[in-house]
Amino acid sequence: MQLQQNIMKKAVLVSFCVLLLFVFLVYRVVTIMRDNGEQYKKQVLAQQQYDSVTIPYQRGAILDRNGTMLAYSERVYNVILDCHVLTNDNSDGKSTEPTIQAVSKCLGLNASDLRLYIQDNPEARYHILTKNLSYDAMENYLNYVAEYNANITEQNKTLEEKLPKINDKAIWFEDQFRRTYPGGTLACHAIGFTTKDGQGQYGLEEYYNDELSGRNGREYGYLTAENALERTVIPAENGHTLVTTIDSYIQRVCEEKIREYNLEHAGEWRENEMGSDNTGVIIMDIHTGEILAMASYPYFDLNDPWDMSMYSEGEVERMIERADGDAEKASQGLWKNFCISQSYEPGSVCKTFTVAMALDMGVIHDGDRFTCHGYLKFGEGERTTTIRCHQRYGDGDIDVKTAVEKSCNVALMLIGQKVGKESFLKYQRNFNFGLRTNVDLAGEMRTSSLVFNERTMGVTELMTSTFGQGFNVTMIQTIAAYASLVNGGYYYQPHMVKQILDDNGAVVENIEPKMLRQVVSEHVSDLMIDYCIGVVDEGTGTRARPAGYRIGGKTGTAERSGQGKRDYTVSFMGFAPADDPQIAIYVVIDRPNTGSQEHGTRYACLLCRDILTEVLPYMHIFMTEQLSPAEEKELEERGQQSTLSENSVSENSVSENSVSENSVSENESEDNIPVVEITIDPSSGMAIDPINHEPLDPETGAPLNEESSIFQDENGNAIDIPQAYDPGAETDDPRE
Amino acid sequence: MAEGRSTEAREERRNTERRRTRAQQKNNSIDIPLLIVMAGLMIFGLLMIFSTSAYNAGEDQASFLRTQLLAEVLGTVAIFLVVIMPYSFLKFLGNNKVRWIILGFAIFMLLLLKTPLGITAKGATRWIRLGPLRVQPAEIAKVAVIIFFASYISEKPEWINTLKGYFHMMGVAGVLGVLVYGVSKNLSSAIIVMGIATLMMFLATKDWKFQMIGYPALVFLAGSALIKYVQNHPDPESLSFRYQRILIWLDPAKYVTGNGYQTLQALYAIGSGGITGKGIGKGIQKLGTIPEVHNDMIFSVICEELGLVGAVVVLILFAILLYRCLLIAFSAKDSYGMLLCMGVFLHIALQVVLNILVVTNTMPNTGVSLPFISYGGSSVSFLMAEMGLVLRVARENEV
Repeated sequence: MQLQQNIMKKAVLVSFCVLLLFVFLVYRVVTIMRDNGEQYKKQVLAQQQYDSVTIPYQRGAILDRNGTMLAYSERVYNVILDCHVLTNDNSDGKSTEPTIQAVSKCLGLNASDLRLYIQDNPEARYHILTKNLSYDAMENYLNYVAEYNANITEQNKTLEEKLPKINDKAIWFEDQFRRTYPGGTLACHAIGFTTKDGQGQYGLEEYYNDELSGRNGREYGYLTAENALERTVIPAENGHTLVTTIDSYIQRVCEEKIREYNLEHAGEWRENEMGSDNTGVIIMDIHTGEILAMASYPYFDLNDPWDMSMYSEGEVERMIERADGDAEKASQGLWKNFCISQSYEPGSVCKTFTVAMALDMGVIHDGDRFTCHGYLKFGEGERTTTIRCHQRYGDGDIDVKTAVEKSCNVALMLIGQKVGKESFLKYQRNFNFGLRTNVDLAGEMRTSSLVFNERTMGVTELMTSTFGQGFNVTMIQTIAAYASLVNGGYYYQPHMVKQILDDNGAVVENIEPKMLRQVVSEHVSDLMIDYCIGVVDEGTGTRARPAGYRIGGKTGTAERSGQGKRDYTVSFMGFAPADDPQIAIYVVIDRPNTGSQEHGTRYACLLCRDILTEVLPYMHIFMTEQLSPAEEKELEERGQQSTLSENSVSENSVSENSVSENSVSENESEDNIPVVEITIDPSSGMAIDPINHEPLDPETGAPLNEESSIFQDENGNAIDIPQAYDPGAETDDPRE
Repeated sequence: MAEGRSTEAREERRNTERRRTRAQQKNNSIDIPLLIVMAGLMIFGLLMIFSTSAYNAGEDQASFLRTQLLAEVLGTVAIFLVVIMPYSFLKFLGNNKVRWIILGFAIFMLLLLKTPLGITAKGATRWIRLGPLRVQPAEIAKVAVIIFFASYISEKPEWINTLKGYFHMMGVAGVLGVLVYGVSKNLSSAIIVMGIATLMMFLATKDWKFQMIGYPALVFLAGSALIKYVQNHPDPESLSFRYQRILIWLDPAKYVTGNGYQTLQALYAIGSGGITGKGIGKGIQKLGTIPEVHNDMIFSVICEELGLVGAVVVLILFAILLYRCLLIAFSAKDSYGMLLCMGVFLHIALQVVLNILVVTNTMPNTGVSLPFISYGGSSVSFLMAEMGLVLRVARENEV
């Protein structure tokens, strides 16, 4: 009992001490609250993360005119490893191994790397294992984990030693959007691509960046009046979808044909170069200005813009060499849209514009005749200049239509003299040359300094301008202007997007065709259609006619100035079908890799023919012409069928056509009587050029000498073509 | 002995009277106030565990709550078993051989940590796997030291007053303490084991001044020496984390990005609570900011959410609990029962005081849990078993 009393006495003392300590503890809490309360309150609030999570928006898709996806943003997942969760779970670290196994099995990651990382960073909370995982891959992993764990749970029911499960909280997925282009290289220049941070680059992606971009949503915390932390979510606003005027099928046909041409002629004349420096094709609906296809070569892969593996090593080397040895710049060079961002001298295709303006002004009339002696001298005294025709003998006495069909320089210069400088420039502006077309694509070139104006245009400049030399144009300008010639004279602004939709598919904006002005009268337009049909029927463009169809068009061969006389830009610009023009097509081959200009022009025509042969049936435009056996065989080889409807073409119309053809050819033969006597070289039997005595082909009158140019004086010396823009002083990029 | 007998008879009479009045007041043989207070603390604890752990628990917000609840159900079973067993069994536990077996069992369990049964988490091996349960042997050691000291002291009340007896007893406690620290790297449990033993010896011995002056002086001197040591250390970075914690204690703001983070964030929580707090469930600091918030640092969230009022209420509840333990001890029919109750009293008092001293950064961080409130299955079930002992002693008093 002594012990108990002793204990009780001391217990009272101990209890008293404990009580004192309790009071002291309360005192401690009070002092902390009193002395540091305000400071700590602020500290606590300051530590909170108020804008923690960004919810990414989905960039709008780009569709073709039929709703086919050209570009869309796909939800992808970043795989995040939380080592802290993995190493601190209640499995005593045993769940680490099955988790690593699951990750390496389903996501294809190296297990030993993972093990090392977890060992070295057991507390790391945010480690990105892999990026851009597809939804399927993520689901695959989640299913695997769920199945595995269910299996283990089942086994553990009977097992003494529990098997570890996969830690399903240690791996989580963060979603993101990735821009995907299902067509890969399809319409690459027109569409453009996006940078990693979602900014559009080139083409539609850049031009419509604001429409395509949405607004990021956000999940964030804020403090209420009672200093309570609330979290709230503002959902992301997704970007708008573009419905373009592009038709994927037509686009694809154009690209394939361009590629075929370029691969066929790669390295043909200049080693390690493609079939051409650039090849471009635009197909446009002439009644609306809608662009159905815009293709160019070289191309690139939208999903991997830096990839150059589709070109041969030699070609890549050559490209890098041209980009001053900068591989990056060479790659960037591929992104440039030739159709809108590069200018060139258009050549003879512009004769249609010169003739059209002269007819519209009334200074010439259908049937007016001009005499071509093979060259034209103008100016006086020392400033006398001679410019020659392609046909060195001269085309003789020809009417306006034949001048266009034969692409006679002399006749065009005579017409140009009638038009005069002021009117020529006025019409040129009306046709939008020198101005941007404002097509809805990023990077359209400014050409205002590349055409002549009242101050810079002299007689020689006017003369060369009549047949498309001396000034520069872009493809889009030319085809837009040409469309106005063949649609009744109405100039439409070319455009690529016809509808903007929101992310639910509701229409935000319809983009209607925009007719800017009437450039020529309907009468003139009809005449131009007739002339252009003549070009293909019996003129320079016969090769461009697709089997079973009748089309109109105009060829062009421009000498590239300042690059030596060997280089040309060849082109064919046409419309189809002849009886009711619907579409315009413009094919440009810049510096074809072929030996002679004559060949180049032929290839432009053939390219057009190849494309139209497939595009016209697709567009439900029926054949109107009888097929020759050779053509039937050709179509068979292409795997196509004649769309020649027996009803659509009556015997009469065919015979009419043939009659008219006959009559034209009769006229032609009359016109073709040369006014200049052909001198035959007695030694070689060749025809001799009357001016510089070069040997000529006795049939065509074309020079045999590849170095020959229409810009030569009597001694064979080159005459400088006056340029609106001096290519030698290429210091400023004319593209703004 | 004659003297003793007369006092004994007087004591006996007093006890009988007390028992009679008690029996008149209640028909129940269980000390209801103690149970109510304990249950109150536990319910409050569950509430706070849910409040603090829901955010960190992931999808299953109540996972921590469920685990704790399960442990408390087990603890309730333990209370029931202890309360219904005959007093003789309680005596049997204090039998000379059995108490050594209990001590040996505690040591055995501690050594089991070194076998594959040991579970390592957060860098320390503190649990062993027993079938579906995870048990912390340090908690067993605390119960063992209470039973061992209560029986030994009540059996040899004079011997422990001799120098040999005193050091014999402290030696036993020392071995256990060193093992707890050495095997499970758990300094706080070792301190509590040693604290229980030292204070029980203080209660039972006749000496006042040596222990009352000696121990505080020893603690003060050792503490000062440690502080001097770490402060003058040329390269504090190279010190082990225990020494680092002393540095953090001296200036927590200096180590805010490192090891001082937990301490400082707990202080922020306490400081930002104010008189009435932000309201239960509305604390901010538990949202991932304070590490182990549902565990050792739960008192800081009580302060944040319930303010000074909440802190005082918790301390008052503990004070009532301890007061009931004291009353039961005083009315125990023998010194063994009394010492058992005082052992439990000291255990709870030590943990409460140390925990809150740590949370308020009044002493360096050691990682003591708050009894009945902190998350931790072993801790709560063994504490409940200890409460069972107290209740059993109380029941003996009344019958």
